[in-house]
Amino acid sequence: MQIFSPSADTWFRAGLAAFAVLVAALALVGGGYARSEYLTQVGWTRDQQVPFSHKHHVGDLGIDCRYCHTSVETATRAGLPPTHTCMTCHSQVWTGAPMLAPVRKSLATGEPLHWRRVAQLPDYVYFDHSIHVDRGVACVECHGRVDRMPLTWRAKAFEMKFCLDCHRDPAPHLRPPEQVTRMDWSDWSEDRAEAFGMAAMRRFHVEPARLDSCEICHR
Amino acid sequence: MTAPSRYHQITGEVVSIPPRFPAPRAWWLLFAGALALLALWVVAVAVLLVRGPGVWGNNIPVGWGFPIIGYVWWLGIGHAGTLISSMLLLLSRSWRNSLNRFAEAMTLFAVVCAGLLPILHLGRPWYFYWMAPYPNTMGVWPQFRSPLAWDFFAVVVYLVVSVAFWYVGIIPDLASARDRATKRRWQFFFGLLALGWRGAGSHWLRWRQAYRLTAALAIPLVALVTASYALLFAGGPVHGWNSTIFPAYFLVGAVFSGFAVVGILAVVIRSLLGLRDLITPLHFDRIGKLLLATGLMTLYGYLADAFTALYGGGYELETLHDRVGGAYAWSFWGAVVLNFVPLQFMWRRRFRTSPIVLALVGVSVAAGMWLERYMLVVTGLFRDWTGSSTGLFHATFWDWALFAGFIGVFATGMLLFVRLLPVVSAFEIKREIGESGG
Amino acid sequence: MAERTCPYAVLAEFDAPRALVEGAGTLRGDGWRIETFSPFPLDGLGDAIGFSDRAVPVAVLVGAVLGAALIFAIQAGANLDYPLDVGGRPLVTVPGFLLVTLECGILGAVLAGIGTMLARNGLPRLHHPLFNAERFSLASDDRFFLAILVDGDADRAHDARAALWRCGAVDVVDVGEQLVA
Repeated sequence: MQIFSPSADTWFRAGLAAFAVLVAALALVGGGYARSEYLTQVGWTRDQQVPFSHKHHVGDLGIDCRYCHTSVETATRAGLPPTHTCMTCHSQVWTGAPMLAPVRKSLATGEPLHWRRVAQLPDYVYFDHSIHVDRGVACVECHGRVDRMPLTWRAKAFEMKFCLDCHRDPAPHLRPPEQVTRMDWSDWSEDRAEAFGMAAMRRFHVEPARLDSCEICHR
Repeated sequence: MTAPSRYHQITGEVVSIPPRFPAPRAWWLLFAGALALLALWVVAVAVLLVRGPGVWGNNIPVGWGFPIIGYVWWLGIGHAGTLISSMLLLLSRSWRNSLNRFAEAMTLFAVVCAGLLPILHLGRPWYFYWMAPYPNTMGVWPQFRSPLAWDFFAVVVYLVVSVAFWYVGIIPDLASARDRATKRRWQFFFGLLALGWRGAGSHWLRWRQAYRLTAALAIPLVALVTASYALLFAGGPVHGWNSTIFPAYFLVGAVFSGFAVVGILAVVIRSLLGLRDLITPLHFDRIGKLLLATGLMTLYGYLADAFTALYGGGYELETLHDRVGGAYAWSFWGAVVLNFVPLQFMWRRRFRTSPIVLALVGVSVAAGMWLERYMLVVTGLFRDWTGSSTGLFHATFWDWALFAGFIGVFATGMLLFVRLLPVVSAFEIKREIGESGG
Repeated sequence: MAERTCPYAVLAEFDAPRALVEGAGTLRGDGWRIETFSPFPLDGLGDAIGFSDRAVPVAVLVGAVLGAALIFAIQAGANLDYPLDVGGRPLVTVPGFLLVTLECGILGAVLAGIGTMLARNGLPRLHHPLFNAERFSLASDDRFFLAILVDGDADRAHDARAALWRCGAVDVVDVGEQLVA
């Protein structure tokens, strides 16, 4: 009694192969999605009330990061500037620019500008800007070349691996603390960075073995 | 020439069950009950996923609670199916052939229940795959020096090997069912599952190599799996758990509870499907003896545990006092009474061969072993080393709902198996007849 | 050259396992390419059909070694990639790795053994010329069959039929018309 036609075997094997391909594809798609810029938001800008350009303010004008992000050296958060900070200049320049209308409105009503955060860590991560700045982790290490960003985007995938890569091997990422806001380090060779980093780690007693403990970040 | 007709009789008795099901009414009644419990399981899991593990009684210090009690209990039940099938195959005990198929199915569904419980216990169950080593964006690996990672591998490997062992063993009967089926849909169903098995001589010889080697490997696997979760207890600095005897102790207790469930299933399947000449009083007798033997070994474990506590003193003695007279003494004495008092009926052949007595003793032992797991988990944890982490454990409604729901998961799987597939290894029984008389 | 059809095999039916095993031994001794079919594994069949395939046991061994070696390497690699100091114990803790290593060794062995068994048996194979034989479905019930593979050779088919009758077959039929040039 022949239940299946000769072609049934072909279909059966094709089905098995399709299933294997499907499983492999799911693994690849899942892995790719987890690493995709769609999920990590690397390179994605967000709509803001005011299209603020770091390229103009940092790159062209040379304003220091700390002029606006004032608490970065002393607090966990770098801080977003109050409207008064904007107005230190914009009460004098571009006073009638329509682009800046929300800033003037904010000053008039006293309601802060609503910025949508680009660089944000999950709530279960304890991150402190001050200690990183104090030990010489330059802004550019995590935030990228903001002096080249007309609109601000996330420069690095803020995944656990990104944090751990540095915590396990901090030396190449350390710079003189007084120069942390410097954007361009192309004049530092890898050897120089490594040598400086090793010296800085000795000076600050930075121990990678402690830096990658769970409770350093998950408190 | 009486043998060939006997072959035909057995073929008909076993493989014609799915297409011409003998007890549709009883099956549907049981299945309705199982589906109701399965629905309860779905609700209990949905509530858990939406509201989190806070719906359970689990809290500090008793963080394990029902999910881990259930995990150890179900996994233990599963072990008997593997052992009854593989060990008795290698020892050429032919009476195994009436029991091994449904005992292995019992293993499958018990392992499914056991595998789901720790996943649901994770808090964020949808991240269970973090337990597997794979290149991830977190830059971390599972901690392979921890019994938690061992557990993941134990369950996954045990599930895959159990499925493989069971499936390889059922292929020839699926082919037989295919060849007997008259309706197109049954032919197609069994035809696909049988993979085109023709019973060729060289196929049988390779099949026998693969089947016997798998059986031989399944036996140490059972020991490894019990060791994995026994060390999960024994590795912790908890008095009452921190004991090197645990792997052996767990293995014996696991097989004890498993034989109890094999006994219950043998009685139920026999009367449901009318397999009175395939599952006979002889089989009940053997199950009863195995139950008695493993039960006495478990009792020895209890006594050895108590002796060690008396001998060692200190915290161990305190834990023993706690077990026999503390807040959860009912679980200890409940386990002792349910496990070992009805078991004494098994000394008499008259009771061993009585289906109803065997089934009742089986139910008592299954309940008793669940209480033992409860005693082990809860009395171990509810009084920690510091006074600050002392607290009672109270199961909530959703604890019990999930417990009952998992019985529904198991029963649904077993009933579908009974309805759709050959429940007894017909070809191996035929082989025994062929060897003795053919 | 004219086209003609010839059987793929000649199939004989026996009513007892012993007759099948003896017949298989005799025919194989005479140099026929044979295959037996039975509802259950028969004792002594290996010698009768000259079975000497060790692929399955070898695959089990290879699978065990590969499975165990792979997972041991993963465990050691994970600990070296992310070293965690647990009470000063060595990173590559062999006793601690053994349970998972042995479990995965068993997994590799079982999957390799069963996979090899299916592959060497040419399964899954849903359609097969033998299924065309009317009584072949009894090969999974209570009858025992012996096929001589003649591959469309009419003269050999004729001799094969005679040889099968001599072995005490209760019935002999041709199976699976095969087109030959």
